Amino acid sequence: MRILLVEDEAPLRETLAARLKREGYAVDAAQDGEEGLYQGREVPFDVAVIDLGLPKMSGMELVRQLRAEGKKFPILILTARSSWQDKVEGLKAGADDYLVKPFHVEELLARLNALLRRAAGWSKPSLDCGPISLDLAAQTVSIDGTSVDLTSYEYKVLEYLMLHAGELVSKADLTEHIYQQDFDRDSNVLEVFIGRLRKKLDPEGALKPIETVRGRGYRFAIPRNE
Amino acid sequence: MLSLQARQLLAASLGLVAFLGLTGFALDRAFAETAETALRQRLENYVWAYIERSELSRSGELILPDVPPDSRFTRIGSGLYAGVKAKDFLWESGSALGRRLPFDQELAPGEIDFSGPIETVHGPIYRYSYGTVWEYGDDKEARFTLHVAEDTLSLQRQIAVFRRSLWVYLGAAALLLLGLQILVMRWSLSPLRRVVADMEQIMDGRVERLPGDYPEELTLLTDSLNEMIDVGREQISRTRNVLADLAHSLKTPLAVMRSELESVQDDAQLRATLKEQTERMGEIVAYQLSRAATTGRQTFATPLVIEPRAEEIVRSLEKVYAGKNILCEFDVDRSARFHGEEGDLMELLGNLLENAFKWARHRVLLTARAMTIAPQRRAGVLITVEDDGPGIPPDKVELLLQRGVRGDERVHGHGIGLAIVLDIVKAHRGELSVERSDELGGARFVVRFSPSL
Repeated sequence: MRILLVEDEAPLRETLAARLKREGYAVDAAQDGEEGLYQGREVPFDVAVIDLGLPKMSGMELVRQLRAEGKKFPILILTARSSWQDKVEGLKAGADDYLVKPFHVEELLARLNALLRRAAGWSKPSLDCGPISLDLAAQTVSIDGTSVDLTSYEYKVLEYLMLHAGELVSKADLTEHIYQQDFDRDSNVLEVFIGRLRKKLDPEGALKPIETVRGRGYRFAIPRNE
Repeated sequence: MLSLQARQLLAASLGLVAFLGLTGFALDRAFAETAETALRQRLENYVWAYIERSELSRSGELILPDVPPDSRFTRIGSGLYAGVKAKDFLWESGSALGRRLPFDQELAPGEIDFSGPIETVHGPIYRYSYGTVWEYGDDKEARFTLHVAEDTLSLQRQIAVFRRSLWVYLGAAALLLLGLQILVMRWSLSPLRRVVADMEQIMDGRVERLPGDYPEELTLLTDSLNEMIDVGREQISRTRNVLADLAHSLKTPLAVMRSELESVQDDAQLRATLKEQTERMGEIVAYQLSRAATTGRQTFATPLVIEPRAEEIVRSLEKVYAGKNILCEFDVDRSARFHGEEGDLMELLGNLLENAFKWARHRVLLTARAMTIAPQRRAGVLITVEDDGPGIPPDKVELLLQRGVRGDERVHGHGIGLAIVLDIVKAHRGELSVERSDELGGARFVVRFSPSL
């Protein structure tokens, strides 16, 4: 998942970015509103965390601008002031959730998971497709109740595919949303991951969870249980 | 900026000058006209006197009186002249000797001419002329035209005398009126000076607020000044309280951390304590921040309509709690009003509703009812927020309502939100009660602000 983090306080930004990376997010951090707007325009994010008190352009204005430009990814705002007038104004500007500082990083992660799920049209905390179940909070995958051991990159690829279950996901989408740095688009690393995932999820070749659409990308083929 | 006094003085002086100037001009004109009329009358009288005292000889010659109607007619250059003009005949009074006067005009019988000032070589004159016809012998008639003239010297002298006294009196009146105006002004501006003096006393700290006895026009100003002073003072004491509370409530966690640091060797335990205490400090700061955002002040301005604010908050919460799929029913009187500041209303509704959304399974119900007792009285309002969550056990309710007034006492499960709600309700002399919801089965928070009596 690619996340935009806009926060002007360097220590908080750095610890948050490090934590989010550990949780498997590809993080793009910005330290003021203008930089945030620039990145928000250029990069296809899955979610954004924006502090309200930013230099150059306020967080409120940044949210408003991103929404005005048609960006649909969910936005969570961080605010130091906890007044309801601020919260209501932020949500009216186009944010989807708020968190008052100081907060627990665990709470932020839980809220982000919920936002990502909701944005992809999932209402339950775990993504269930046929026998395959992916728990976003615990970052675990199980088939018929038996847990499957995945590496962090394998998990990220599966998470993205399952969030968008039924939709065509191009290779470019996958690399952009999963990898921290620019990734060699032609390399076959992704194909290797997909191959391993197929083996782990479907050792007998009966489920066929991941479909290859030739020349265009992949699709998670098992329909959602909801 | 021109001072009030200068403005008034300027306006009054301009008014006075205009008024007195016009009055003087009108009086001057009137006097000049009157003097001219009097002159005409006098000249006319002389003409009649001449006619009366003259005789016509049998041959039709005019015999003028030996003694003229006024001795000035005989004094050479006296300024008063008479003359008679007839066909082939011209007579002039002794005073006209050696002077060329316009006495050669002939008028038809009965015709009168008054003209002047006529320029002559001897200066301007006024002339009254009368044409007459006398019969003599057998149906013979002789036509004469009588002229009496006077130079303008006496008229001018009269007017000059009049003018002099007129302007002296008008000037004196102007000065008197201006002086009076200044006195009136000082008198009517004196309350303003008193306000200034009283304000100085307030700034010196000798008095608390402006005393009440000012003229009606100023009470609006002084009342708002008093209100401002009160608000300022109230805010200072609030800030002081919040600061003191903040400092006091931070002392405990600090003390705990320090003692642990000094006594405990086990890193894991230290870490746990540190985590617990920083969390507590975070809550304290958040609570005091929210308290600083509320004022608890009852305003006499237009009361706030509850409905749109409630709707905004519910819409926001529905967005945030979208994952829970909560149905928030909404039953708010359009006439329900809150007498206070917007921040307080938002905190009150926001915290109560967020609590409900947090604890509800699927349903939240918000109602607000206006409580009117009489049309002139300030209506009260009854706000209830219910949910279908687990509710609050009756034995915990008492505890919940007693606690949470201070930030260093945590209200378990209901965070600092309820503590803030309690603060606001108390500041507005309202009541907060917690019950079980009859309709939804969960908790039911009731906030009641009574109508004013």
